[in-house]
Amino acid sequence: MHGACEACPHAAFSENAPQGYTLEMERGHIHPVSSLIRETNRIFFDMGFALESGPLLESERYNFDMLNFPKDHPARDMQDTFFIKDEPGMVLRTHTSSVQSRYMESQIKRGDPPPYRIVSIGKAFRNEATDMGHEAEFFQIEALAVGEDVTLANLKGTLARFFRELYGGASVEVRFRPSFFPFTEPSVEVDMRLVGEHVPEKLRDKWMEMGGAGMVHPNVLKSAGVDADKYQGFAFGFGVDRLAMLKWSIDDIRLMHSADLRFINQF
Amino acid sequence: MNISREWLQTYFDKPLPEAQTLADALTFHAFEIDGIDPVKSHGDHGAGAGDDWVLDVKVTPNRGHDCLSHRGIAKEISAILDVPMKADPLRQEVALEPKTEDLQVKIEDAKHCPRFSACRIKGLTVGPSPEWLRKRLDVIGQRSINNVVDATNYVMFDLGQPLHAFDADKLVNSKQKTENGKYQLNVRGAKAGEKMVGLDDKEYELTDSMLVIADSSGAAVSIAGVKGGKPTGVDENTTDIILEAANWEGTMIRKTSQALKLKTDASERFQQVISPELTAYGLSAAAQLIADVAGGDIAGYVDEYPGREDGQREVYVSVQKINAVLGTSLKPEAIADVFRRLDLPCDEVTPDSFSVRVPLERLDLQIPEDLIEEVGRIVGYDSVPAMELPKFGKEPDINGVFLAAERKREELVAEGYSEVFTSVFADEGERAVLNKVDSTRPYLRANLVDGLKEALVRNEHNKDLLGLKEVRLFEIGMAWKGGTEVLMLGTADADGVREVPLEEAKADAYDALPVSTTEKYRPFSKYPFIVRDIALWVPSGEDSEEVLKVIRSHAGELLVRSEKFDEYKNEKTGKTSYAFRLVFQSFDRTLTDEEANVRMESVYQAAKKEGWEVR
Repeated sequence: MHGACEACPHAAFSENAPQGYTLEMERGHIHPVSSLIRETNRIFFDMGFALESGPLLESERYNFDMLNFPKDHPARDMQDTFFIKDEPGMVLRTHTSSVQSRYMESQIKRGDPPPYRIVSIGKAFRNEATDMGHEAEFFQIEALAVGEDVTLANLKGTLARFFRELYGGASVEVRFRPSFFPFTEPSVEVDMRLVGEHVPEKLRDKWMEMGGAGMVHPNVLKSAGVDADKYQGFAFGFGVDRLAMLKWSIDDIRLMHSADLRFINQF
Repeated sequence: MNISREWLQTYFDKPLPEAQTLADALTFHAFEIDGIDPVKSHGDHGAGAGDDWVLDVKVTPNRGHDCLSHRGIAKEISAILDVPMKADPLRQEVALEPKTEDLQVKIEDAKHCPRFSACRIKGLTVGPSPEWLRKRLDVIGQRSINNVVDATNYVMFDLGQPLHAFDADKLVNSKQKTENGKYQLNVRGAKAGEKMVGLDDKEYELTDSMLVIADSSGAAVSIAGVKGGKPTGVDENTTDIILEAANWEGTMIRKTSQALKLKTDASERFQQVISPELTAYGLSAAAQLIADVAGGDIAGYVDEYPGREDGQREVYVSVQKINAVLGTSLKPEAIADVFRRLDLPCDEVTPDSFSVRVPLERLDLQIPEDLIEEVGRIVGYDSVPAMELPKFGKEPDINGVFLAAERKREELVAEGYSEVFTSVFADEGERAVLNKVDSTRPYLRANLVDGLKEALVRNEHNKDLLGLKEVRLFEIGMAWKGGTEVLMLGTADADGVREVPLEEAKADAYDALPVSTTEKYRPFSKYPFIVRDIALWVPSGEDSEEVLKVIRSHAGELLVRSEKFDEYKNEKTGKTSYAFRLVFQSFDRTLTDEEANVRMESVYQAAKKEGWEVR
């Protein structure tokens, strides 16, 4: 670290710059989103959640039908969907929620009833114009916990622990607001507030919108073959890019896919 | 939907709290609010008098049945704040009486038109609306047209039932009317290629999946549930109208609206599906209002209702189930209180369970979970405690693909590669996206190599700024080739760009790998930088860091990077040569060579002062 650069806004580079024979090949950097996914997976793994994946090019069946989006229903308008040329019924998944129904269906087919705890972390797509806050391709984390007695209170507790660990041991408050998603009932929007001196000033004591969540709609359980009278569960889906933007005060989501080392090498 | 605070107030005796309080109440118990705006009413010059507030309420798709109306939002406010409504128009008895024989309605497609109610009003005078009506519409952003049209719009925004007024004399066959004294409106399927000019003066070409209302000549006079026709519209000479309040099936309206690229306030409401019971309330209210503001006599009503459903819908839920889902311990009385506030009549089946008689407009209430949501949101989600899940019985599986990706990341980072994500959208590929908004790069990439090549070139330019000897990149991402989706690993460096499919790995546990310790991202300058090298002979033994310190302190604040890149010791002279690379960049402008020269000059001067020799 050199004093002369302390005050200049480019200090990040200088700080990251190795000393001595610096133009030797130094260690590279993983993408901040990868770092965040690594951390997120670890936090959820410790809570018993297995990481599951599914295809990005997905059928409407898993992306919509099994998630209780009726055909030709206005709820589908909430998702700006990319359809695929000459492949009717195929879409770029609009959320990682498609993994929910894939997973539950395969478990039931294998004869494994709940409890289930999974996370799915990966790319999702929305067909919309891009700006500092919106990207057509982005990362999402989906979590699903199904059991005989999984409650909305468990959702709040799980989120509180996740945010606390991700944002570094600060005191965290989680708040729900009513919302609507076809695949959850009740549905909520999740807000988070970080409290405490360790929290960067920009984030401290402010409510921030984190994403959607709720109790899995019985129709979603039923369509996957899960006994909805016996089991219930929660699910949530958050933008990973947004989690990363909050964590590191990143101001433009488009940096994520910029492949620009001026950005990536800061992490 | 734009909701006027003053309009809401008409539903309450008690003064409503200020707009922000209403917005907060809705936000935490019903809907997101997209905006709260003060509105100065036109034509009113008193200080503050006549002013209003508009809340832009984002009604969710499950509540389009009942909340795309001031009455619906008033109902929510009543429940949330627990203030009684003066009167709820949907809880009154309405009778579409007297009946008239002047008009015959025939529904050919009852599946898509469950109900068609209409009313004939004679001898009215079309003119400007009274001030209060214009103001109501103006505040929520609706243009006043004339008293008749304004009255239909007012009722739609008030109760949620769209209406349309036909000029009775323009419905063809007013001649025929004089012969048999009757008007006729037929609900029939549109013919492919059939055309109609809408009230917006645009000609619409219809398809056979749409419905129209036709008059006795057979001509379409309205695109069902979407747009009325121009030739039969109300104008300043109209004296006789047929007022229509119908119910249309949502999917048909949605498809029609999409096909015609025509969204109207009516189509928005019908596609959300509204109760056919609503036509009577809307029609009766609109007929009264028209008689009030435009005069005329209500000659009588017609009501065709093939889709009538008998019986009261009930939804059952137990206290135990509510608490089991929410994770709360609410008492039966607290739950009964929520149903009272929401005006959901219910019977206690047992002391621990309720059967709710669902009101006509609440089509969203179908299953116990729907009632649980009502309880949760009205009680408030802040009463849901935060409880961690109990320990899970089984050890989670290890994801072999993620494990492999993580190992590759670690391996490559150790070799100096940095990870990038490039877009999955490409200029070429095997599969294309049908409907990309920005219409650039419509293909799904068939490889990572092309994106990495571009990224390599772009980062090459910043090598010195980044202090890299060589740019090395990698990406782990999907590509679509050979008809499948493949996870690829691509690497790019001075030797070229290549990719291989990522092979799954196996292990009993994930490796413990480091995460970024960076605290904060710092925006970088978008302006070009200037690189200058400087080499100095200094007495051997002089520490390069000390030399660099002197350089930095004289290079100024535009120096963003400085490092030694070469060192040579001359044993004979006892001097050492250090070579440093200096990078200058501004955050707000493109630096000129002169500016860099000035900085370098002061570095040279400082070096000379130290007794160092500039090579």
